[in-house]
Amino acid sequence: MEQWISFAKGPLFAFAFLVMVLGLIRLVIIQVYSLILQKGRRLRNVPWKKIALEATSWAVPVRHLIPGTRFFSVTSYLFHIGVLTVPILLTDHIALWESFLGVNLPAIGHRLADLLTLFTMACIILLFGCRLFIPRLKSMSKFMDFALLGVIFVPFASGYLASHPNVNPFPWETVMLVHILSAEVLFIAVPFTKLSHIVLFFFDRISQLHWQLRPGAGDRVAEALFGKETHV
Amino acid sequence: MSEKTEMANATLAGRSPIRSYPYYIENPETEHRVERFLEAFAAVLKYTDYKPLLDSYCTSNAKCNRCAVTCPVFLATGDPKDIPCYRSNLLLDIYKRYFTIGGWLKAKFAGGFELTEAVIDEMLSLFYRCTACRRCTMECPMGVDHGLVTRLGRYVLSLIGIVPKALQVSVREQLEGETRNTSKVPKVALLDTLSFLSDELDDLMGVSLEFPVDQMDREYVFFCAVSDYLMEPETLMGNAAVLYAAGDWDKWTIGTGNYDGINYGLFYSDWHLENIIKQLLAEVDRLRGNTILIGECGHASRSAHDFVPVFGGSHGHSVINFMEYTLDCLEKGKITLDPNIITERVTYHDPCNIARSGWIVEQPRAILKSFVRDFVEMEPHGHNNYCCGGGGGLVSVDEIHDYRMEIGGKVKAEQLRRTGADICIAPCANCKKQLKELVEHYDLPCQVMGLHDLILKAIVIEGAKIPQERKEEAALLEM
Repeated sequence: MEQWISFAKGPLFAFAFLVMVLGLIRLVIIQVYSLILQKGRRLRNVPWKKIALEATSWAVPVRHLIPGTRFFSVTSYLFHIGVLTVPILLTDHIALWESFLGVNLPAIGHRLADLLTLFTMACIILLFGCRLFIPRLKSMSKFMDFALLGVIFVPFASGYLASHPNVNPFPWETVMLVHILSAEVLFIAVPFTKLSHIVLFFFDRISQLHWQLRPGAGDRVAEALFGKETHV
Repeated sequence: MSEKTEMANATLAGRSPIRSYPYYIENPETEHRVERFLEAFAAVLKYTDYKPLLDSYCTSNAKCNRCAVTCPVFLATGDPKDIPCYRSNLLLDIYKRYFTIGGWLKAKFAGGFELTEAVIDEMLSLFYRCTACRRCTMECPMGVDHGLVTRLGRYVLSLIGIVPKALQVSVREQLEGETRNTSKVPKVALLDTLSFLSDELDDLMGVSLEFPVDQMDREYVFFCAVSDYLMEPETLMGNAAVLYAAGDWDKWTIGTGNYDGINYGLFYSDWHLENIIKQLLAEVDRLRGNTILIGECGHASRSAHDFVPVFGGSHGHSVINFMEYTLDCLEKGKITLDPNIITERVTYHDPCNIARSGWIVEQPRAILKSFVRDFVEMEPHGHNNYCCGGGGGLVSVDEIHDYRMEIGGKVKAEQLRRTGADICIAPCANCKKQLKELVEHYDLPCQVMGLHDLILKAIVIEGAKIPQERKEEAALLEM
């Protein structure tokens, strides 16, 4: 089992992390390249300040709390805090980042980490419940929307169990292996699923750029479909 | 021939029966729509710049459904199909399935979504239930621009002939017809109307004015929604009164080559949007004008303001809405508005295209607050305002009147009722028509008019009848 764990912590972790990073870089490159190549000088017409203010307003989305979605929004916001903080700033992970990436990050205390972990898990269950029981949300939710919540839940739950032997009914090695493997599944899922909004969030928000239509494109589309004698 | 007989005949002749569309279509074809839609979508993706945005949306779309509670259509119906995200996903799913490697692989090995005639039916219905107000975009945590996606869906549908006849016939006349405008107003009728407006202004104010037509080298070339010449004389007289009072009468002109600011291309087609902008610019160039002055019309203002720089190349004309011009005159002290004339309670409806999708929120309020004693806001208002229910071209589609009243405009009507206003200012030809119909439908004790209709009542013009005198005369006429 130990060999399995060290394999999962070593080459497999490197592979999964690389897939995530390279996958996300690919998404960013495609976006930036397309924008610069296609839009070029038209980007000067874009109200950048308005876009930046709008995007940053979501960092503390108080003014976005609208009736009818407050519970879901608050839960989702808190969930994001946990999802971003615990995996990166947990003491046990700090050592991992240092050995793997050579960066030394400040750690959060164990008690805070425990609290945030339980909190995040509770948020995931609530979000799952929202998707299951709020009719309009249920109608939109597909298998993947539920599955991804599960994919995020498992590393949190197994991580908590691994660091709390008193509540862990399973062998430590098994739990640790599940923890590492599930985190790696999550890494690999990031660039191919909606979790890619880690980076695409910024590109989704700039639809103002996409209203800068390409001059002459309409003519070319019409010509391709109807020939030169295009009529209204 | 009735529709039923037509369907029966078609079936008997071995053809598929004519589909029922929610709006009139010129040539409602039933054959090969799926193939033709995909062919059209492929051409659009090849020649336009939408691909990266669709890539981003279809990968990262969170489906959180916050948009649902922002949408006046969903609030009125509660139908999950009216959720903006559901609607956008119709097109995004097609994109993902047919135009991405991931979608192709998934279809090959796991099956899943396929475009069918039923999906086309759903799109042509849902894309025209949306008023393109873009309120949902503001509250989407991802920033998915459902208005843009809906417009793109409409664009592709229009390429296979699916577009409301009302819109298509209008733009055909505008781009290829003799009159070059959407309401088919010939030049002679325009000149008649302007002469009528002169007489009316003379009667009302006691000032004799001749509207400037085809004057060269003027600062402003004026374009309003051409329907205003037929339906909104008071708005136009208000515009004229401001120009005259500000001493700018010799600085503007109306061109007879093209006098229509309407651009339905903004609602459904890149091709039309660009060609209508080019036609407008050609007229400004012919007259050697400088600034494009757009009358009280939301989408005309947005389409000129946003797309003259995009399609205009080196033309370099600036575009302003008439309310900006009026506020500038007011702030510079070039015009005076009598604060004792308007005693009724007044509210202001923000047209989506110039408020949420534009740059005009505070300007009309500054004007109104300068001379209206009892001004009340709708809640919510400004960038967050609800659409009138006739946006995105829907107001021009007469056959969906019931939809616009009972669903599209339901939230707006309630919002208007809550203000208790006697007058609702709607500085947009589309909003005005829709709101007038709503007021009638819901029996609201409120009069809908343009901002310059109100200004016309209160503007002080040197050497002309004072506003109080005009008010008394109008009261006498009403008795």
